[in-house]
Amino acid sequence: MERYANGNDAAFSALYDAIAPRLLSFLSKATRDAAATEDLVQQTFLQMHRARGSFIRGAPVMPWALAIAKRLMIDGTRRRRLELGVFRHASADDERRGYEPSATTATADEVLDGRRLEERVQQQFDALPETQRSAYGLVKLEGLSLKAAAQVLGISVTAVKLRTHRAYVALRGVLREAVEP
Amino acid sequence: MMSPEIKARVLAVVGAEPSPTRTAVNLRNTLLNMLAGVGGMVAFVVFALFMSDSHLLRLGGQVSPQQHLERSIWLVATTAGGALGVAATAVWLALWRGRSMLGRSRSSLLYGSVLIPISLFAWKVICSRAFGYPMIAWPQRPGLKCLALSLLIATGPLLAFLAVRRRALVRPALNGASMGIAAGACAWVAVDLWCPVASVPHLLLGHVLPLCILAAVGAVLGDAFLSVRSHH
Repeated sequence: MERYANGNDAAFSALYDAIAPRLLSFLSKATRDAAATEDLVQQTFLQMHRARGSFIRGAPVMPWALAIAKRLMIDGTRRRRLELGVFRHASADDERRGYEPSATTATADEVLDGRRLEERVQQQFDALPETQRSAYGLVKLEGLSLKAAAQVLGISVTAVKLRTHRAYVALRGVLREAVEP
Repeated sequence: MMSPEIKARVLAVVGAEPSPTRTAVNLRNTLLNMLAGVGGMVAFVVFALFMSDSHLLRLGGQVSPQQHLERSIWLVATTAGGALGVAATAVWLALWRGRSMLGRSRSSLLYGSVLIPISLFAWKVICSRAFGYPMIAWPQRPGLKCLALSLLIATGPLLAFLAVRRRALVRPALNGASMGIAAGACAWVAVDLWCPVASVPHLLLGHVLPLCILAAVGAVLGDAFLSVRSHH
């Protein structure tokens, strides 16, 4: 970003390669819409391109990019007046891999139980307030630090901790019910 | 899933739109800040020429036919000097983003926006009391001229601050309000040179109220122009 801010246009390609995967992952989870994700990625990079001259030396790029993406998403949602499921998992297949018991060792019942549990966790996640989903998504799914997530969301670190913890407790409750019926 | 098509499209869109480099932005910001300073001074001089018999610095005046009050030059220097320090702090709070592209925290902006007007007002009162300057009401000077002068001087700096910042990803309204306060604090220094009245109602109407108005205008403008919009 430093080179790009200083006028090296060729550096944009490297910048894209460095941050596009995380941006796409973030946005696809947030929108669950491939076309909207591509549009938002394009707009995010365009905003970064327009603002390159005001980029602060040594400033972290990723929280900035995520904040632009989130603002664009909020603005787009407001414009369209549509309900977007924020931070819902983009690829059900990817997530299933995490929960699905190994095909070689799992019985049909275990696979079925795993899918039911995943559905319940997903339902609980979707039922969380948007504020909790956003905080949980940035900290637990995107791996941002509490401070960076607070900056992206425009709230205090304490508020991020609280929201993430509440989301975590709600999701843990579903898992606990499943283990101890 | 990364697609080469998306990258190609992004590169095409970005390549089609020229954007200023850091050098160009720094130059533009320097010019804008100079323009704001000159604009504020021109507004002050024009106001003084047409509304105040060419007085840029007023040490005193006629409170009533029987009473004349005059400030010492040291009182003027102390109040204006202190106000200048507070104004510099306000500008630093409003424009300096530290090492983050996301700007200052909500609490910094909020406390700054509240404490700057309080500090300016308190400094004026404390100095007037310390120098034994009578804080009495002037029937001819309720504070409307000071109100108009403050708004006139602060308009240029406020617009310049908004143009310099251009974008506030988070809290655009609060950032705008902070810039309004900073512009108002700069205007306070000039008004302080011109206005010899130190009564509390006059200070609240003519000196503090403009800061509140500028904060509100800055918040509206910040929300409108600093926030990121899709499909622009």
